[in-house]
Amino acid sequence: MTAALHGKRAISASGTNAAVLTHGTIALRNLEGQIEGLEPNSSPGRLGVEERAWLIDLLTLRGSILGSIADYGRALELAHLLVRDAPSEAAAFLARARTRAVFHRFGEALEDLDVAERLAADTKSVDRERAAVFQGLGRYEEASAIREEDARRRPSFESLGALTTLCAELGDTERAERLHAESVRRYRGISPLPLAVLDFQLGTMWMHEGQLDRARDHLIAARNYVPAYAPAQGHFAEVEAELCHFDLAIALLIPLATTSDDPDYAAQLARICAHAGYPDDARYWRERAAARYEELIAVHPEAFADHAAEFWLAAGGSPRKALTLARMNLEIRKTPRACSLLSRAIAADEAAGAWCFSVPQTSHSATSAAT
Amino acid sequence: MDVFGKAGPSAVFSDAVIYRFRLRRASIAATGTGASFAVDADEVAFDFTFDVPRGASDTAHPPQRGHCLTPGGETVSFYTNDEKGGQSPGVRVFAGQRSEPFFLDVRMIEKTVATRQIAFKKVGSDTLYGTNVLSIVLEVEWPKLLDGGPMFAVVCETLRAGPQPTRIERVGRPEIKNVSMSFKMFDQVNRDLEIRDLYNSEDAFALTPDYVGAYRARMNANLSFYDSLDGEIDWPLDEASNHPLTKLLLADFLVVDASKPFRETSYLEIERAMLAGRPHTTAGGRWLNEDVMDFIFTLYINGGNGPHISDGVDAPIAWSSTVFPYLAPPNPPKSQAS
Repeated sequence: MTAALHGKRAISASGTNAAVLTHGTIALRNLEGQIEGLEPNSSPGRLGVEERAWLIDLLTLRGSILGSIADYGRALELAHLLVRDAPSEAAAFLARARTRAVFHRFGEALEDLDVAERLAADTKSVDRERAAVFQGLGRYEEASAIREEDARRRPSFESLGALTTLCAELGDTERAERLHAESVRRYRGISPLPLAVLDFQLGTMWMHEGQLDRARDHLIAARNYVPAYAPAQGHFAEVEAELCHFDLAIALLIPLATTSDDPDYAAQLARICAHAGYPDDARYWRERAAARYEELIAVHPEAFADHAAEFWLAAGGSPRKALTLARMNLEIRKTPRACSLLSRAIAADEAAGAWCFSVPQTSHSATSAAT
Repeated sequence: MDVFGKAGPSAVFSDAVIYRFRLRRASIAATGTGASFAVDADEVAFDFTFDVPRGASDTAHPPQRGHCLTPGGETVSFYTNDEKGGQSPGVRVFAGQRSEPFFLDVRMIEKTVATRQIAFKKVGSDTLYGTNVLSIVLEVEWPKLLDGGPMFAVVCETLRAGPQPTRIERVGRPEIKNVSMSFKMFDQVNRDLEIRDLYNSEDAFALTPDYVGAYRARMNANLSFYDSLDGEIDWPLDEASNHPLTKLLLADFLVVDASKPFRETSYLEIERAMLAGRPHTTAGGRWLNEDVMDFIFTLYINGGNGPHISDGVDAPIAWSSTVFPYLAPPNPPKSQAS
């Protein structure tokens, strides 16, 4: 199945004029080629502010496609340097706001956007960035007001796609699908990357809805566009695991867990290996994920609180750690998923606490009996 | 044709793009202040397409197969980065990563516009120094392959492949869209219009009449700004307030007279001869090594009546040669070079 997916050429479904898209492998190489071409020159004298901001966005994009936290980190580092070197340029603050939002530093991102607006950035552009931050924060009404207005005034692949992601996050599945179709119809680019990202979002939406077949369709579509799309492959593996196709899920996850610096894949592998009856493998991947989560939480607690909490709740086996992180996550973002995560963490912690509490009693009884 | 500026070593040609050279027969329609070309409605095209390279996801430099479809319907296939290129009678082609042949100091151009004073330094900083591009080279024996001549108008385009290919980018002369048309502040008609996207979407051989007024206003305004930089008016506007170069430059194609001798500094020689009402003496076109930016600024600022205007960048990192495939090999990545 995997091989077949890799061989298929992606074509965007844009009505009768079905345009050809660049093969996902070439698109990824050329993303790499753009970064290589800009990165070595990224000193203030050589590149302009726009190009430096562009490089930051390219790194973020590659991070999202390959599941590379190092790319996100490099983007944030470059964004800080850009703001340092160009403190009167709105584009610098916009770029840093985007990278800060990636690391869930939403408050700082909003501050950057305020500065960008004061520096005369186009208000509509700033608002679009704000909508993304509001969405991350769970301030859906504010995000919706901007996204809806933008899509109404300027219906394009970008504006309708942004509204699609909001509807997907809100669980408005029917509208998300409709907007997705309309968004794709308006796509005029040749890169498959934006289309892959949108299908991935819908795949994630259907996973949360528990509709695995529909999730699978979108995740396969995302991988058709870009065969090396790591998060799509990871989620696809999760779907397969839910369908009890454990060996396929494990085969899909091992290359990701081996090469990616995102512990999510190792965490999923640990969980699935345990379910599939491979305790030694589960232990190996659990330890690997745990070590990496500890590292990441120490550096970027806001960004990884939710995923780390999920890990400690499941394969990680530490409800207390999960509870601490789930609380932190809810403080950062008041989303339904953050609330749900905290509820599950509290329940797990209470269950563990009850068990822990019962252990000393038993022990005490035993001791008493011994004495 | 150069695409993918600042290309890193990983960059390859897209399999979803048609890289097209369009040629039309041209002739001189008018000389003097109303100088213009007449261009035939018929044209020929050389279309380059590329396959997905084998091992593209796990090989540093995978071989990529390219194909050139000639106007006669023949396909010339080749591998990228093979300096021998592909050949068929009358045609030789190359595609691959090469050293960026263009050189200019973008920061000082921006400063010149921002301060409204010539800001070039004696020694400038080449914005493109050490960078690479993806290049396509087409060598044609024109008497064998093309009807008519010897004067041809040439445009390069990229198109989104598919049942109805749509144009992505086009280029004729250098720096028409950026240096000549991008700056908005001098344009009293459309002060807030990013006109380049609109202009870029046009067929170079047939601009949409509805928008020509907007393009003309922008070009007139920007050329007049450049003319004002030395305090002298070398390009008086005509009775309709048009700059003498506007009409010629808005027809954004490169004109080559294949019957005339090649010269390394022949850029716009045909057009200048037309404006002066004298016969041209070179093949025109544009040679890769020519310091086009100096030429453009000298032309725009003093019309050749004053001193040579230099942007302080006089050479690329590597000279192109007169031997196929002409363009210099790619520069090593910065990390290796340092």
